[in-house]
Amino acid sequence: MSDTTNRRANFSNLPENVLNRNHVISIKPTTAKKLTIKNLKSEPKLPDDYREQTWKKLKNAVLAIQQSKPNEDSLEELYQAVENLCHHKMAPTLYQRLHSLTDKHVAHNIEQFLAESMDRYLFLKKMNETWQAHCRQMIMIRSIFLFLDRTYILQSHISSIWDMGLELFGKYILLNTLVQTRVVEGLLMLIEKERQGDQVDRSLLKSLLRMLTDLQIYDKAFEQKFLQATERLYAAEGQRLMQELEVPEYLAHVDKRILEENERVLHYLDPGTKYQLIHTVEKQLLREHVTQILQKGLDQLLSEFRLDDLSLLYNLLSRVKNGLIELCSSFNAYIKKRGRTIVIDPQKDKTMVQELLDFKDAMDNVVVTCFHKHERFSNSLKEAFENFINQRTNKPAELIAKFVDSKLRAGNKEATEEELERLLDKIMVLFRFIHGKDVFEAFYKKDLAKRLLVGKSASVDAEKSMLSKLKQECGGGFTSKLEGMFKDMELSKDINQAFKQHVTVNSRDLPQIEMTVSILTMGYWPTYQPMDVHLPDHMVRLQDIFKEFYLSKHSGRKLQWQPTLGYCVVKAQFRSGLKELVVSLFQTLVLVLFNDCDYISFDYIKDVTNIEDGELRRTLQSLACGKARVLLKNPKGRDVQDEDHFRFNADFTNKLFRIKINQIQMKETTEEQKATEERVFQDRQYQIDAAIVRIMKMRKTLSHNLLISELYLQLKFPVKPADLKKRIESLIDRDYMERDKDNPNQYNYVA
Amino acid sequence: MKVTIKQWTGVASWKWVANDDNCGICRMPFDGCCPDCKLPGDDCPLVWGQCSHCFHMHCIVKWLQSQPVNQQCPMCRQEWKFNNK
Repeated sequence: MSDTTNRRANFSNLPENVLNRNHVISIKPTTAKKLTIKNLKSEPKLPDDYREQTWKKLKNAVLAIQQSKPNEDSLEELYQAVENLCHHKMAPTLYQRLHSLTDKHVAHNIEQFLAESMDRYLFLKKMNETWQAHCRQMIMIRSIFLFLDRTYILQSHISSIWDMGLELFGKYILLNTLVQTRVVEGLLMLIEKERQGDQVDRSLLKSLLRMLTDLQIYDKAFEQKFLQATERLYAAEGQRLMQELEVPEYLAHVDKRILEENERVLHYLDPGTKYQLIHTVEKQLLREHVTQILQKGLDQLLSEFRLDDLSLLYNLLSRVKNGLIELCSSFNAYIKKRGRTIVIDPQKDKTMVQELLDFKDAMDNVVVTCFHKHERFSNSLKEAFENFINQRTNKPAELIAKFVDSKLRAGNKEATEEELERLLDKIMVLFRFIHGKDVFEAFYKKDLAKRLLVGKSASVDAEKSMLSKLKQECGGGFTSKLEGMFKDMELSKDINQAFKQHVTVNSRDLPQIEMTVSILTMGYWPTYQPMDVHLPDHMVRLQDIFKEFYLSKHSGRKLQWQPTLGYCVVKAQFRSGLKELVVSLFQTLVLVLFNDCDYISFDYIKDVTNIEDGELRRTLQSLACGKARVLLKNPKGRDVQDEDHFRFNADFTNKLFRIKINQIQMKETTEEQKATEERVFQDRQYQIDAAIVRIMKMRKTLSHNLLISELYLQLKFPVKPADLKKRIESLIDRDYMERDKDNPNQYNYVA
Repeated sequence: MKVTIKQWTGVASWKWVANDDNCGICRMPFDGCCPDCKLPGDDCPLVWGQCSHCFHMHCIVKWLQSQPVNQQCPMCRQEWKFNNK
């Protein structure tokens, strides 16, 4: 405010100075002359008929445009005419007149569609032409009447010329439901034709749909009907194709459909329709059939590992609500079903682990490549594996242990170190699923003992790596015994070296046998049946020397020999030459007998060696009936009888110098296996006892049900409630706890 | 001689020569080790007293340290003396 007053002050100062200097003569500063503008004395007159004349000119022009004829007057002139009329307050009238002119024209245009019953396609084409012409004309008219559009119409909030054209066009189309339905039906027919695979004029569709959008009747007149038609079509198609097609083909079809519909939106539909349209397609083709698709096709896809189809299935189902959840549960069910067939059949035991590994690999692959590593699926995969693998108690654990054994055994050259390592990792994954880990440990320990004692382990590194994996998985308590076994082997190595030195220093008249002994700490190793056999004198002497040496190093101990586990390298002279035989101690004892006699009876061998009957029969069988027959049996036959006799086979030939004669294994499936299981069961009883006492000590009193549920939380292996009951009874007998006097379902801890 | 033994790999297991299964102090089996150790063997040896009772060395040493006046065998209350046989 102050700014303007200042400026005014300056102005009033300024002229004074200027005037003073230059125009002193003419003007006095006190009387400034006022400049006034007066109206013209008489208004300029238009010719009386100017307005009508001009309108006539304009009207002719509009009519010419509407009939697509050339204009008589130049456009500039016409524009000028409009401007002039506007200046002379003719604008409202002009608008009125233009409106009625257009109205008439449009009404006339639409009427032609009412009367004729023409081919739908032609009808659409004509409609399109009319629409296009209308647009063209309106643009032209607007250009001429631009001044009107920009002044009067803009100020008085009525529809612009263009909008007016649209309104009128829309009004007549809406008014004439027949025309409207014909347009819409025609459009729907074209679209349906295209859906059936025919080529249609997409630009025609696009143009007409644009017309509906422009007339703002797209939603009301077209979209709903279109969606309904879509729904009807795809509902029927879904029903039909689900019956006719295999699932993969069906999926491919659905994918194609969705793609097509998307393209349709892109090419001619209003973008606003997209969501509803796609949604409708998905609903009718997918959601309605999810269960059926999964039931009918998922198993097949998974068992044939059709990764592409599975990816497609995942992608499609991820579009519909709950689709993935259903897919996941079907996936889960498939794994359980398929896994169960691998696990449950005793005839397949030999290949079970390999099959499980392959199956796991395949399913992992499916989850990674097809299911985008979705967490729900990988968790479900784990859950399913854990579920089916434990459907058969103990056996999978045992077979996994055996499988590891076969891979870690020497002579297994099929895999490099890295491959072996990877394989072990995979096995650990399976191992993780198993509930009865102690069963695994028992069998693993037994096999590990064999590998270590017979020196059959493929690689110490691999053994150690397996051990560290187990330790990582189950903790130090699980592996302490296994580690102890390795420790024993290392200590034995040291002792044997010391013993060798001891022997060379005190070289008495020792038998020429190179002796090494594995010294086992009782607790770590599986229990072996002690067996008392008769050794030849020189062997007994050597054994005693070692024993003496060992006890001198470790006082307070006693040594128990385990003849079942020993083995020897024996030099044998045949007619064809000298051979070295790698044989068990028992086999050695039998062979040595033939140094003195040629032909001996079963009973004699049994008497002299004192080997247990069954063991001896197996030993003789291995020497006389196996691949390398260094003994001859009389009479011949597979089984060793009491009255059989044996002869040294001097004519034995073999292309190898060193020959390994395998001990015939006791049928492991029966006794040994039962023993292992029995031992596991025993161990479990102690664990159950300990857990019961631990819980009771903490709680003092507890009802039966609560005790059982707490036990299930603590125990890491599967137990039957009946077994738990037995242990509780036993603890009550042993006065660790008692039944409550008033309530027989309650236990009290007895301190 | 048709057959001569060149190499012999034998297996033997060792046990403590104890007159009891369990250590009288920690009640752990002698086949195992005392509660403070992880592996039985030379790291956790047994010792014998002149009274012929035997314990984990770690156990009896701990016991003797807790008995400032009379160093007695916890089993028979005789004076404890190591038997270095």
